[in-house]
Parts: sequence; structure tokens; C-alpha cells
Amino acid sequence: MGERPIDDRELRALMTRYQAADPAALEELVRRISPPLARYFSASRFGRAQSEDLLQDCWIRIHRSRHTYRATEPVMPWIYAIARHTRLDAYRRYRRLESREISMAELPERPAQTPAPADDIERLISGLPDSQREVLVMLKVSGMSLEEVARATSSTVGAVKQKAHRAYETLRKALGKDREHA
Amino acid sequence: MPDDLDRRLDQWASAQAAPASSGVENKVREMLGASLRPVKPLPPKWALVVAFANVFLIGAGFLLFFMQDDGFHLMKPWQMVLTTGVFSAAIVLFASYLAASMVPGSRQGVSLKWALPLSAVGFAAITAALFPWRMPGAFVAEGWPCALMELEVAALAAVVFLTLARRGAIFPSPGLGAAFGGISAFFALTVQQYQCMFQQAPHLLIWHGGMAALLVAAGALLGAFLEKRRAA
Repeated sequence: MGERPIDDRELRALMTRYQAADPAALEELVRRISPPLARYFSASRFGRAQSEDLLQDCWIRIHRSRHTYRATEPVMPWIYAIARHTRLDAYRRYRRLESREISMAELPERPAQTPAPADDIERLISGLPDSQREVLVMLKVSGMSLEEVARATSSTVGAVKQKAHRAYETLRKALGKDREHA
Repeated sequence: MPDDLDRRLDQWASAQAAPASSGVENKVREMLGASLRPVKPLPPKWALVVAFANVFLIGAGFLLFFMQDDGFHLMKPWQMVLTTGVFSAAIVLFASYLAASMVPGSRQGVSLKWALPLSAVGFAAITAALFPWRMPGAFVAEGWPCALMELEVAALAAVVFLTLARRGAIFPSPGLGAAFGGISAFFALTVQQYQCMFQQAPHLLIWHGGMAALLVAAGALLGAFLEKRRAA
């Protein structure tokens, strides 16, 4: 399961120092936050190469919008809200590329379904609606709480619970069917 | 107790790709370090709501001072109190949504799914209940100049509200656009209510309310356009 080794109080202090242009704080934030962000992009139907591109893009966005962080708010939902927009924009870019019928060779690398699913659970998760998969990734891979996911997705805790519940139900049913067929 | 699905999900989560290579992290550090400057954080949410409310109070007061005030003379005190109360409440709802949207990952106290219908129903109900259902003689001829004036006032208000929010609202979206449209529309509705000489429910609902609905829709479309452009 996703681990949360990052202490929010420390992160808040680092963010405040980062806003004050402390290079050591930037270094430390990149060191601590990049691994979970890379896992988030990787688990969100992007390959490793693309995940690294998205990670860089995300950091540029974090840097440009660092003034919007308030020290009274938790850091990780702020970070993941920006990461989420980075991911959604990447999807839109790929969709646009596909709709323009650019030859597959010119596409940088297709998100979703490109890498063959490692096992059946990976395949089943790939089949979930994007909003449910996103919640599952944040809860399981990023190890966020319901409240943090709600903040990061501009949603409510109730809506997040509902999406997670539906994702679990779909996966349970699908796993049950798989067993029957086996 | 974790069931089979939980166990498999945990396995899947822990099997996700290894963290980014240190090369990427170094590149990020170099890239960002080069442009590292001190920044001033956004003010607290309540301060942003107060700022939006001040723009409404001062801006609407300023415009009314220079515009006609026929509505002010035609409305009864209780009509003034109730319409201004409903319009102000709508402004606060939209301002709260905008203030929360300016900070990514912020708790959304006010949902646009509630703010939009609540303010629309509030406007329609108060207008239908408080103003006479008389059809003016020249409904269209008297109506469209009002709608045009509302559009002009709302455009002016939108510029001020956008200037106020320029440091936040970094991720344009249809929702954010609709909220900007909504707050500008209610600003203009308030100004129009006090300066308009046609204080009849059909006129207010169709020409004032109709234009407000168009402004919200235009804001949502603009937000959607900017969202697509950002992704490009």
C-alpha cells in the first residue's frame, strides 16, 4: 500500500521557506515529493518515460503557482491538485493528437492501455472509469486520506467515498467473474 | 480485516513504478533553482471573500451614483431590502467559491452545483413574488436596452473581479468561468435593479435574468476554451 513517510508539518515549513526563495528548501521538497508524484503519474496509465516528463511539467507548475500555497493548509492536497491538472492536460493533449489522426509513429507514447497489464488486477483497474481510477490511485498508491483526496480533486469526502465504493464493487464483481471462468 | 481485493490492491499499489530517476530530480532542481525568487502568498480565504464583496459594494455604489436611479424611486423599501439581500447572498456564494478555487487543493465550502441553482431560484422567486406581473407596452423595445446595459456593467465588473483574482485561479475551467460569470452577472443585476424604470416581473425575469443566465453560460464557455488552450 502507498506509504506516507512525509510529515505535513515539516512540509509546511519547507513550503514557507520555498516561498521565501530558500534553495535548500526547494532541494528538500524535490527530494521528498518527486517519488510519490512519479508513482502517481506512473499508476495513472502513463509509462515511465512519460511519467518523468509529467513530473518535470508538474514541478514547473508547482513553481509557477507556489504563491497560491497557504501555510495554514495541508501541502499534499495542494501538490496533488496541481499534479491532477498536469495529468488531465496530458490526456487532453494525447486525445487531440489522436483526433488529428497523426500517425501512431509520431505519437510520443500512448497513455492508457499501452503497456500490457501486468496481471488481472492491473487490467481490471485499467477498465475503471477515470474518476474512479483516480480516486483509487490517490488512496492506494499515494496513501492519501479521504479528506486529502477530496481536496485534491475539488470534491467532497462523500463523493470520494462513493467513487471508491463503486470502484471496489466493480473490481469485486469482475474478480468474481474471473474466478467463475477460471 | 483486509479481504482478497484489499490484498491485491495493496500488491498492485506497491508494484507501481520505481520513483523518478535522480537525473530527473537534478534537472528539476536546476531548472527551478535558476528562477527561484521570493513570492508573496495569497491572502486567507476570508480576506479574498471580503475583497470580492468590497468590489461589489464600492463598484455598485459608484456606478449607481453616476447612473439613473429610477428603480430606487420606484421600489418599496421592503423590495429593496429583499432583492439586495438575495443578490448580496449570491455574490457571497460565488465569491466563496472563487476564493476556494484560487488555491489548488483547498476545501470547497461552497459547491457550484448548489451556488448556481440557489442564486437562480433566489432571483426568480424574489422577483416573481415581489414585483407586479404586468406586461409593459413595448416589451422588446424596452427590454433589450436593459439587457445591453447589463452586459456592459457585467463586462466592467468581470474585468475588476478578474484583476482581483489574477494571482489565483491558475487552472481555468468551465466551473471557474461560470462562477466569474455569475458574480459579474449579480453585480450587474444589482445595478440594473436600482437604475431600471421597468419594475415588472416579466421584464425583470426575461431581460435582466435572461442576460444573467447568458453571462454565466458565456463564462463557462470561456473557461472551457481556456482549459483546452492550457492543455495545448
